[in-house]
Amino acid sequence: METLGFLIDGFGVALAPHNLMFALIGAFLGTLIGALPGLGPANGVAILIPLAFTLGLPPETALIMLTSVYAGAMYGGRISSILLNIPGDEPAMMTCLDGYPMAQKGKAAEALAISAIASFMGSLIATIGLILLAPLLAKFALTFGAAEYFALFVLAFATLGGITGKNPVKTILAAAIGLMIATVGIDSTGTQRYTFGILKLYEGVDFIIAIVGLFAISELLFFIEDRAGGGKGPMKVNKLTLSFKEVREIMPSSIRGGILGFIAGVLPGAGASLGSFIGYTLEKKVVGKKGYFGEGDPRGVAGPEAGNNGASSGALVPMLTLGVPGSGTTAVLLALLISMNITPGPLMFTQHADIVWGVIAALLIGNFLLLLLNIPLVGIFVKLLSVPPKYLLPIVTMVAFVGIYSISNSAFDLYFMVAFGVLGYFLRKLEIPMVPIILGLLLGPEMEKNLRHALTLSDGDWTVLWSSGLAIGLWVVAFVGLVLPYIVGPILRRRMKAAQELTD
Amino acid sequence: MTQLNDRIFGVLMLVLAVAYGWGATQFPVPFGGSEAVGPETFPKVLAVVLALSSLYLMFKPDPDNAWPKGRIILELVIAVLVLVAYTLLLQPLGFIPSTLLAVGTLCWRMGAAPVRAYVTGAVAGVVVYLLFTYALNLALPLGVLSVLEGS
Repeated sequence: METLGFLIDGFGVALAPHNLMFALIGAFLGTLIGALPGLGPANGVAILIPLAFTLGLPPETALIMLTSVYAGAMYGGRISSILLNIPGDEPAMMTCLDGYPMAQKGKAAEALAISAIASFMGSLIATIGLILLAPLLAKFALTFGAAEYFALFVLAFATLGGITGKNPVKTILAAAIGLMIATVGIDSTGTQRYTFGILKLYEGVDFIIAIVGLFAISELLFFIEDRAGGGKGPMKVNKLTLSFKEVREIMPSSIRGGILGFIAGVLPGAGASLGSFIGYTLEKKVVGKKGYFGEGDPRGVAGPEAGNNGASSGALVPMLTLGVPGSGTTAVLLALLISMNITPGPLMFTQHADIVWGVIAALLIGNFLLLLLNIPLVGIFVKLLSVPPKYLLPIVTMVAFVGIYSISNSAFDLYFMVAFGVLGYFLRKLEIPMVPIILGLLLGPEMEKNLRHALTLSDGDWTVLWSSGLAIGLWVVAFVGLVLPYIVGPILRRRMKAAQELTD
Repeated sequence: MTQLNDRIFGVLMLVLAVAYGWGATQFPVPFGGSEAVGPETFPKVLAVVLALSSLYLMFKPDPDNAWPKGRIILELVIAVLVLVAYTLLLQPLGFIPSTLLAVGTLCWRMGAAPVRAYVTGAVAGVVVYLLFTYALNLALPLGVLSVLEGS
């Protein structure tokens, strides 16, 4: 069991006092980010990356902090679904179905506690899955050649829209834009490409600037347009009375949800939305008539919450082992890795074993921290929910400015960020997804390197890209991933909507 | 419901694809003569992909989202101008005063009462400045307030 040995080493890294402290800070900030209105997890992690840099944190500490933020944001996101019936993001939609009715019956505290416990179980199961699966996948990925990698990157883009994605062509278009931005700068042969003689562009476009601009600044503009600055009134949460029996009752639901969620998270393109959706539907099937789903059944909160968190931990598997993230937030985590000069992928497990296992151990510890943090402190997070965005968003924007400024001390970068923000606003209006752009920026250099490598070895023969069985398999999955949303997407979306309307 | 947005965007992207693809043919031949694959190979592939998907958008556009009107456009322009001005003033004016102005104006335009908005800006500026200078050991420009430093 060499995995166990690595894991123990990992705990050694994660339990170092300063790493533990940053994990705690990350978990707290993450829950905050998840709870605050108008700040998605991807957005929050993106804003914190520059800060992790300027603090001069070593890679493992920075990554531990940001994975805790990631895990925390998932916890925080459910607060508004339960109390306000407003899902923070798509996966949280299913939590509304039984969470909000529970809150209306005056059991808000119980709903929050149950979702915290279920989230914990989901993450725990998925992290164990990650520990078992990741090393195997990493070993398998070592057999990949350049052509297979190229096909894998294509697959990542093709499935990024996810089963629930709307228009696959817009995903492709966005990916192409991102990849095009990535080609700006001096390439590996020393040729200048699309630099227009501007010195600042020689080293290419810094993806952190692009990410913060596309996410944070465009969010500000959207809030201004919607005139949604008012915020919500203060909310009350009753005193928690949760018996051990009630906790025991939701355990089977949490475990089922967690396992399903993990599988959905690992699979390319499925993601957390599907994880929480199947978590809920399965619960309904298993419990059957005995349940009172849609009217505040605790199991209806536990199932999708565990599924959601299981999926978000599961999504780390392809990111760590293949260097191919499956969601927006994991893409942002990948950005952090790349900018720390760590190339994710199978080699990371051998070259940076301490970092990988440190992060995995930190995930386990982070989940315990989050559970401890969430049950007693939920009142504070609930209060934060009522901070009006009209004060919050300008401050968040300012923090983003300071973060970018402190990396380079350059005004040029700030103008660039604002320009990306304006671009992001227009793209979002046109429903062009942001995540493929970011992923294109991140994966562009690697993708081109592998393409060139494959073609150089074959003397310019393009058929090399689909010459091996593995490569053909990847191309097929990519194609299916692109076409499937056309068929399944509308059905799934309709069902999610129908389930939502049933409770309203 | 019109579908003009996607069509116009498709045309713009097609122009971009052509320009980008043409740009790729203009790269100087790398040292050692041209090879089967060079700096231009990958951009050419991208140009084709972008061109095809923008053609699709032009012929099968999605329904439009509504664009903001009148006053809201003005508010958006103001917000962007504030951000540009913030960048412009950050170094000469210093972090705290420029943050006061930028965050204050944004809060105000988003609907906060003016006094509370600028107080928020001032508090945020001072807190973040102190945090960066003392807790994180990072220098933010002091600007006009640097007279206080000597005392």
